[in-house]
Amino acid sequence: LTKLFTYTQLFPSYINRICTGAVLYVLLFFTSSVNAQSISREYTIKAVFLFNFTQYVDWPRTSFTNGEKVFVIGVLGADPFGKYLEEVVSGEKVKGLPIVIRRYADVKDVKGCHILFINYKESGQLKRILHMLPKQVLTVSDVEGFAREGGMIRFLTENNKIRLRINLQAVREGDLNISSKLLRLAEIVNP
Amino acid sequence: MEQLSLPVLSCKPVSLLSLWPFFKPFFFMNKLYLTRATVCTAFCFCRSWLRLTVTLIILLVVQQTVYAQDSSITAAAELKRMSIEELMNIEVSLVSRTPGKLSEAPSAIQVITNEAIRRSGATNIPEALRLVSNLQVAQVTSSAWLISSRGFNTIFANKLLVMIDGRTVYTPLFGGVLWEMQNVLLEDVDRIEVVSGPGGTLWGSNAVNGIINIVTKNTANTSGFYASAAAGSFVRNMAALRYGGKVKNVSYKAYGQTMYRNPMLATDSTENADAWRVFQSGFRADWEGKKDAITVQGDYYTGTKKEKAGNSDFIGQNVLARWTRRFSTSADMTLQVYYDRYDREDVASNGSDKMKTLDVDFQHRFPIGSKQNFMFGVAARLVKDQADYTKNFAGILPVTKRLDLFSAFVQDEISLTDKLRLTLGTKVLHNVYTGIEWQPSARVSLNATNSSTIWAAATRAVRTPSRFDVDYFLPQFPVPPTSASVAGGPNFRSEKLYAYELGYRVKPNKNSTVSVAGFYNFYKDIYSVEPLPGTLTYQIQNGSEGESWGAEVTASYNILRSWQVRGGYTFFDKKLQAKEGHNFNPDYLGNDARHQAMFQSMIDLPFGLQLDATWRYVHGLPKTIATNSVPAYFAIDVRLAYLYRWLELSIVGQNVNLERHAEFGGFKIPRSVYGKLSIRI
Repeated sequence: LTKLFTYTQLFPSYINRICTGAVLYVLLFFTSSVNAQSISREYTIKAVFLFNFTQYVDWPRTSFTNGEKVFVIGVLGADPFGKYLEEVVSGEKVKGLPIVIRRYADVKDVKGCHILFINYKESGQLKRILHMLPKQVLTVSDVEGFAREGGMIRFLTENNKIRLRINLQAVREGDLNISSKLLRLAEIVNP
Repeated sequence: MEQLSLPVLSCKPVSLLSLWPFFKPFFFMNKLYLTRATVCTAFCFCRSWLRLTVTLIILLVVQQTVYAQDSSITAAAELKRMSIEELMNIEVSLVSRTPGKLSEAPSAIQVITNEAIRRSGATNIPEALRLVSNLQVAQVTSSAWLISSRGFNTIFANKLLVMIDGRTVYTPLFGGVLWEMQNVLLEDVDRIEVVSGPGGTLWGSNAVNGIINIVTKNTANTSGFYASAAAGSFVRNMAALRYGGKVKNVSYKAYGQTMYRNPMLATDSTENADAWRVFQSGFRADWEGKKDAITVQGDYYTGTKKEKAGNSDFIGQNVLARWTRRFSTSADMTLQVYYDRYDREDVASNGSDKMKTLDVDFQHRFPIGSKQNFMFGVAARLVKDQADYTKNFAGILPVTKRLDLFSAFVQDEISLTDKLRLTLGTKVLHNVYTGIEWQPSARVSLNATNSSTIWAAATRAVRTPSRFDVDYFLPQFPVPPTSASVAGGPNFRSEKLYAYELGYRVKPNKNSTVSVAGFYNFYKDIYSVEPLPGTLTYQIQNGSEGESWGAEVTASYNILRSWQVRGGYTFFDKKLQAKEGHNFNPDYLGNDARHQAMFQSMIDLPFGLQLDATWRYVHGLPKTIATNSVPAYFAIDVRLAYLYRWLELSIVGQNVNLERHAEFGGFKIPRSVYGKLSIRI
């Protein structure tokens, strides 16, 4: 450390000025938490994926016949997206319907939902949840074994990047149609 | 935003030490108490701190404005514009400026992935760089490589910036890279990014003709046990060991590797005395929180090179820490500090060179409104060189010299329309030889369609002097002007480049990419060695000038899921001459290939087999006053591997079609083969 200080003694004075400025600047910003988002980068990307699914998936006509003129993206369980999901879909439309975000604490509350992100840490409950949901809901999650257990799209992280795993059988049972473009980029699993 | 950096620079001179007592109380306070009011009151007590207070207020105001118009909404729009493929290519965790910024930059960039490196059979970084079609890689001896982009490949190739995980590794002794000391565990290399063309605005000095950025994997992705051993005819043996794990949310790894390489062949095809070995070990730890990421890493290496006169040893260490705080997807701040030292002996000149570097680098990036992405940075590099060649006839004088470098940059990326972006920036740096230098650049990029980009750039870059330009004396003692001598370059200035580039990048479909770039470079004040009028005393001067031009084409194509190919072709030509009133032949400053091509194929066969091959063509190098001509060559490397769960067995033939070939000078590389066993658990 003494060595380091001898170094600083050798600086010309303008270096000291710059250092002072730098220290102030860094301290101010690094100690601040003004408006800093608490949502992780991973979920900002996943949120955009959820929105993108609206462009790559066709829902059967019957899933739009409940009278509500909205397209619903739901989050079941703790919400990892914060307000970000709203930001992503604000002003966007699917087949002329505005997109709304709904949050559900229990699977029983899920109604009229088109895409559902399931955030349940206990995969034990997963089977029950998937069984209780209407078949036409595009189910998405990052829970381990989601696609195997009958979920439709699972996010997984490989090499620090997001990959998709799609259970095609579950998708077909729901009468959903996923575009081949998306399918090509995903890994297909059969339970 | 101009006022942003100016007040910082103009506040009253106070040392870090004298500042500390004022900061101490705030430092331990909860961040919530560091409000505008408390800070101001505290600092207003002291009148001599007035300017500091003003600075602080301005900073606070800036901070508020920057984050009041937080970028998250813009960021969402930005992410939404991306295709699914692009989304799948975004790194999920925090990344420093290094990777993201390079690939976004409208410039001629090529990225070599870990897979391409592994499947090429490359055994070290210079061999891996042969996979970049616009780099000219020439192996001179068993332990020396000359690597350049866009020309000027010589023994003192000095116009390239090379970084390993954010640590600059060209030596300010001569401005080039000592490649034998730059070993990394190739298994853990995430990718190598290569930009041909100048990048001095964002990146450091020396980024005149290109940048090589070697990025190792985050330790979150290198968990587990890796071991490999290899034996062969040119690479005599190699072994590597790595273990990675995770404690709470800190991932870590430690590794060690050793390599012993056989000699090349002399001109008469006998063994040249240049066998060498190197051992390197190191560690890396990564921690990631919600907003912050911290990386700490370090390496230790030691090696011995055999030479005719005996053995030359080298040893070095480095340690680096980097702290990134992310405010949103388009605003972040990075602080990086590293210390690096090496000590190399040179038995031939009975000398040694000890270099110590302490580098501090800070940068901050944030959007201004919805149309601009602003970025600035400051850096200080304290370098002490001790080049002790006093027992030799030629030497570097004075032996010990400080080579400090201070720099700052600003860059603003402006969206003119939805598709048209303009990036303006400049770097200003201060070096010990020439004082202040400017490196401005302007780039425009047009997203013609979703999958294609046209870009153009005009840049000024400088190559600041190295010790070999200024402090080189032959002989070391003063001689009368009537006998021949080289007496340094007391008036040597920076070499300047004015570069004009035009490029086009397109993704015709999801399986292929094509990129084309053309350039015209004008060089001013290039190196020369000339006698002072009426004497035999030579001085190093800036007596040359010239121009160069060329084109680079690269492409990749996934023919099948199991068959990928990539390749490229580079055309390069230049014209160098002595400036008016100067008498020097600058031809030997660049032994450059006019044509160069590379093609790599990677095939997955059934039963866990892989069959890979690399073809390289390098056009002949013309004879100069200092070097012999080198005939054109066409070399093939082949790799066959068998993978079974945690086991990988491979056999690699290098230069299989050439019994021996020279790439620079007279020494020849023999045809060779090695077998390798790797285990990943």
